[in-house]
Amino acid sequence: MSLHNRLEAVFHDVFDDETIVLADTTTASDIEDWDSLAHITLMYGIESQFGIQFTANEFAEFTNVGDLKQSLIDKGCE
Amino acid sequence: MRAAEPASTEVRSSDPERALREALGAVHDVEVPEPRLCLSVARAASAIGDEELAARWALKVVDAGDDFTAWNSAGRLLAGLAALPPPRAAASLALLGTSTTEYLTPLLRLAARRRGIDLTVWEAPFNTYRQVVLDPQSPLYRRGFDLVLFAPDDTALSLPLFSDEPDAAVEAETAKWVDLWETIAERTRARIVQCNIALPPRSAFGHLGARLPGSRQTMAQRVNLRLGELAGDGVSLVDCDMLSALVGKDRWFDDRYRLVAKQSVSLPALPVLARHAAAVIAAELGLARKCVVVDLDNTLWGGEVGEVGIEGVVLGNGPEGEAYSAFQEHLLDLTKKGIVLAVCSKNDEDLARSMFEHHPDMRVRLDDVAAFAVSWEPKTDGLRSIAATLDLGLDAMVFVDDNPAERELVRSQLPDVEVVTLPDDPASFASTVADSLLFETRSYTSEDARRVDSYRGRAQSIDLERNATSLDDFYRDLAMHAVLAPFDELHLPRVAQLVGKTNQFNVTTRRHSLAALRDFMESPSIITMYARLEDRFTDHGLVGVLIAVPGGSVLEIDTWLMSCRVIGRTLEHAMLDELVRQAMRAGCTTVRGTYVPTERNSLVADLYERLAFRSVGTSAGTTSWELDVDECLTNEFIKVQSTDDPGDRDVTP
Repeated sequence: MSLHNRLEAVFHDVFDDETIVLADTTTASDIEDWDSLAHITLMYGIESQFGIQFTANEFAEFTNVGDLKQSLIDKGCE
Repeated sequence: MRAAEPASTEVRSSDPERALREALGAVHDVEVPEPRLCLSVARAASAIGDEELAARWALKVVDAGDDFTAWNSAGRLLAGLAALPPPRAAASLALLGTSTTEYLTPLLRLAARRRGIDLTVWEAPFNTYRQVVLDPQSPLYRRGFDLVLFAPDDTALSLPLFSDEPDAAVEAETAKWVDLWETIAERTRARIVQCNIALPPRSAFGHLGARLPGSRQTMAQRVNLRLGELAGDGVSLVDCDMLSALVGKDRWFDDRYRLVAKQSVSLPALPVLARHAAAVIAAELGLARKCVVVDLDNTLWGGEVGEVGIEGVVLGNGPEGEAYSAFQEHLLDLTKKGIVLAVCSKNDEDLARSMFEHHPDMRVRLDDVAAFAVSWEPKTDGLRSIAATLDLGLDAMVFVDDNPAERELVRSQLPDVEVVTLPDDPASFASTVADSLLFETRSYTSEDARRVDSYRGRAQSIDLERNATSLDDFYRDLAMHAVLAPFDELHLPRVAQLVGKTNQFNVTTRRHSLAALRDFMESPSIITMYARLEDRFTDHGLVGVLIAVPGGSVLEIDTWLMSCRVIGRTLEHAMLDELVRQAMRAGCTTVRGTYVPTERNSLVADLYERLAFRSVGTSAGTTSWELDVDECLTNEFIKVQSTDDPGDRDVTP
């Protein structure tokens, strides 16, 4: 699975919604349940899926999915 | 049957029926599937409206592993299901934390439901636990709850890095909580469950802090102890400090969650907290299990006694044998806190009983077993008859069996019985049964203890270290008891093991083979002796071996060794006395010993000298020693049961 698909799978899992399709421009406001609470769950889900660790700052703020993917690539994820 | 599939199977299908079939296919014949796979089944079942199946598989996530993401999803899925099986109990709970509680709540409800508890949870607003308790108009009192759960973290403590008056600081800190408990008790009938405080693993004082009564870390530990003391019977505790150690404090304390989300316990640690809190709540609601039912072969000991005989089972010696012993000890500990032990095994009943009566390394004795269902009937019959005999419900029972097929039978036929999934390795049996959390109990009274003596013994072991003023007192207080007997078939394997591996207390280090040892055993003139040692705390098992060969008036010690676990217990004196006695009986006037030095046995270089042998020669480091056999006896501290006449033994193969 590509990085994009793996990331999408985490979103499906965390939001229990298989219809979610991610674009680089997707932000929290595009997904109904993506509130601050779900955000932490999502970040943890991504960490455990990719075996990486975000800094506290990254944990707190990703502006969109493109940023998130870039951060994963920077951490060596493929 | 046990190997779980990797958690990669994603169910994606537009046909929901097919999706469910695929999800079920992925867990087919797996006793405990991965959490994500259980969740896939639950979701697929929910999608086609089979709520009962969905609930069953959502709850299986709890047993499948502490995977936060799966738990979180399963918890939310379960909350949306209307048709759940009837609960064993229903309770409302007010959750009062010092930081975020939203992540814990769905997990706690899930874990509670797994215990049969329909738990409704009200969360106090963020960090308002004091206001909520103190304000008589707060929802805590207006709504009324069955349970109040306090879940503070270390930020709730206001202790300085160092205090000149630690006693006062500890009392003041403890009083904050006790005051809240008392206020609640005055105003409601809610039962209180208090989490103690998980203590962070780092401090400026480091190791020094551990010996400063005024350091924050020492005071914080005392606050936890005081909470336990003052909780008494009125307040239940969840020992979060212990849980943080169990999970690993570095994992439990992940500051990012605290910094970003005011979440004091890391998300991956939350399932453990939820399981344990649910177990304490279950005990509080009277749902604790009362009886542990164990299988025998490959559960209490290794091997099938019907196949290999009593002398062939693995128990007491070697890594695996000691693992089974440790498991037996754990079961005994459970009986001592009031859990009833029963046996359910497909076996020959006489042989099974004889194992309990005659195997020297059995820790569990027949007296410890309240019901003994050993037959060739199905185990479901055995469990029913145990329940009837003990007048307990099946929902009070926990079934422990190494055989996955028997476990599956009981799960499907007697769903009220909890089944522990034992791992393959007996080394993990005790921890697996402990981790099931099925025997959490609310209180402990003297009636719970069938053997109060053992508690007394433990309390005294602390006194012992403090009070033993001299080594002699220490030895006397140990109340040591030794069995000294000639080799026999039953003990020969352990003797051979010691001869093969003992390095330190070993005067000649002769590695005799099993066959050679059997020859010694069968020779009418050669004196063989094994020694078992027990003290008031521990049965050390077979720990000493001695072989002596007579030649005219001289009895020559060929081999003398002791396991390192009993060095410094004076057992050598008891063994020597016995040897001298037998030398006299054999008509020998002198006992001769030889010390052959190796890289590892300098410990016994002066053994013979200490035992009042006289030196009779040295050759290339090897020293020879002699003792006249009419000299007085040297054993002062060990009560000896000598069974040198084979017909007189109380242990027969």
